[in-house]
Amino acid sequence: MLANFKTYLREKSDLTESAFDEILKEVRVETIQKGGFLLHAGEICKHAFFTEKGLLRAFAVDESGKEHIIQFSPENWLTSDRSSIYFNEPSDLFIEAIENSTVVFMSSEFMEMVSGMSHKFRQANDRALHSHIRQLQLRINQLLGATAEERYLTFIQKYPDLLLRVPLWMTASYLGITPESLSRVRKDLAKKNFRH
Amino acid sequence: MATKNIEIIVNPPAPHFVGDGFRVHNFIPSGYHLDMQRMSPFIMLDYNSKFHFPPSNEPKGVGVHPHRGFETVTIAYKGKVAHHDSTGNSGVIGEGDVQWMTAASGILHKEYHEEEFSRTGGEFQMVQLWVNLPAKDKMSPPKYQGITNDQIQKFALPDNAGEIEVIAGEYQELKGSASTFTDVNLMNAKLKKHGIANFTFPAHFNTALLVIEGSIEINGKEEVGTDKFVLFENEGETFQIKAGEDAVILILSGEPINEPIASHGPFVMNTKAELMEAFNDFNIGKFGYLED
Repeated sequence: MLANFKTYLREKSDLTESAFDEILKEVRVETIQKGGFLLHAGEICKHAFFTEKGLLRAFAVDESGKEHIIQFSPENWLTSDRSSIYFNEPSDLFIEAIENSTVVFMSSEFMEMVSGMSHKFRQANDRALHSHIRQLQLRINQLLGATAEERYLTFIQKYPDLLLRVPLWMTASYLGITPESLSRVRKDLAKKNFRH
Repeated sequence: MATKNIEIIVNPPAPHFVGDGFRVHNFIPSGYHLDMQRMSPFIMLDYNSKFHFPPSNEPKGVGVHPHRGFETVTIAYKGKVAHHDSTGNSGVIGEGDVQWMTAASGILHKEYHEEEFSRTGGEFQMVQLWVNLPAKDKMSPPKYQGITNDQIQKFALPDNAGEIEVIAGEYQELKGSASTFTDVNLMNAKLKKHGIANFTFPAHFNTALLVIEGSIEINGKEEVGTDKFVLFENEGETFQIKAGEDAVILILSGEPINEPIASHGPFVMNTKAELMEAFNDFNIGKFGYLED
């Protein structure tokens, strides 16, 4: 049970065995059915969500009702709206399970408690925040300036098995292109790389 | 030769849908004691027990998806499936037919209810079996054997007991229609009420059967009903089945491939690195392209 979360916690912290066991007792774990929501836009986000099993997506909905996927969160990923947590303001994001998922809910209090017990965890959490900023910058740059193919190639490096887990339109939404453009990109790559 | 006894009888697990066109019970690898190594070379068996699909103008099925490292064998008992793949093959698997697709180094395909079947709706009953390939053949070119029922070799049992359709392997020196990479026996026993058939396979082959229709008695003692899966022990060579009523039984027996298995979704390889390569090759189009 919670094999992925335990590995994450061991890698990111230098907790003693007894502290480790204590922390696991404090952890809140939920099973979310496909289609279930962990956060709705307008709510204040209270947790970071660690995907033990399954797949989550974070997305915004524009005024015309169109969805824009900001992030996928497969096994071992963390997703959240960190600005909503930090500034205590309503989130613009929805976070939804797109497969039946097992999710660890980590509140600010939980993060603070573990950070208090492990300096290494505090550093790792700090680093995770900066990695997140780096990822966001990369995404903004690509959405503003990269070709559809360049965006697609970055996507498959980051999420190697996701094309087989999510419908094409969700990948297209994440890339900021139409499903037709995504099909064209994949068709062009196949022309170049098909080896039979 | 010694009798091959039953190891376990497995009831059909709760069904789930593959796409929207296949309502299947997964026996291999998620059934109790039916993991990939135990059942090798049979690494997946989905059984769509008899199910009535209502008429639909949009054919139900499974969209484009890849495979690498093994073979898919589709056996149609009721209903019809149309398929297309990225090597340009397409066709219809009709009642009694078998499609033996060697995905090997990689193929994309899609499978849907055949249009006319979809429009009228009706009874649907199929088996999809994955047969593993040895490491040396995993990256061989894909190929395809469409075997219609009239091409399947049939052995007539004595005393008008019924017949054995030999899809692959051998029954009483009659060789099956499909070519295989390792020693694989796959056959349909179609027995009349009280008909008897005897089977002999090497003791170490992994051997099982699935009761598609009717009920049977195995080795004169165990009664087994429709939709149940029977795994035999890896001891003894021969077993007997007797039909309690008209029956159809799928018989599987194959030489285990004693190699490591690394599998994730539609890829079955030997190492994790090969799996990552499979994902990357699929993502960058090395499997080709097929329109959804």
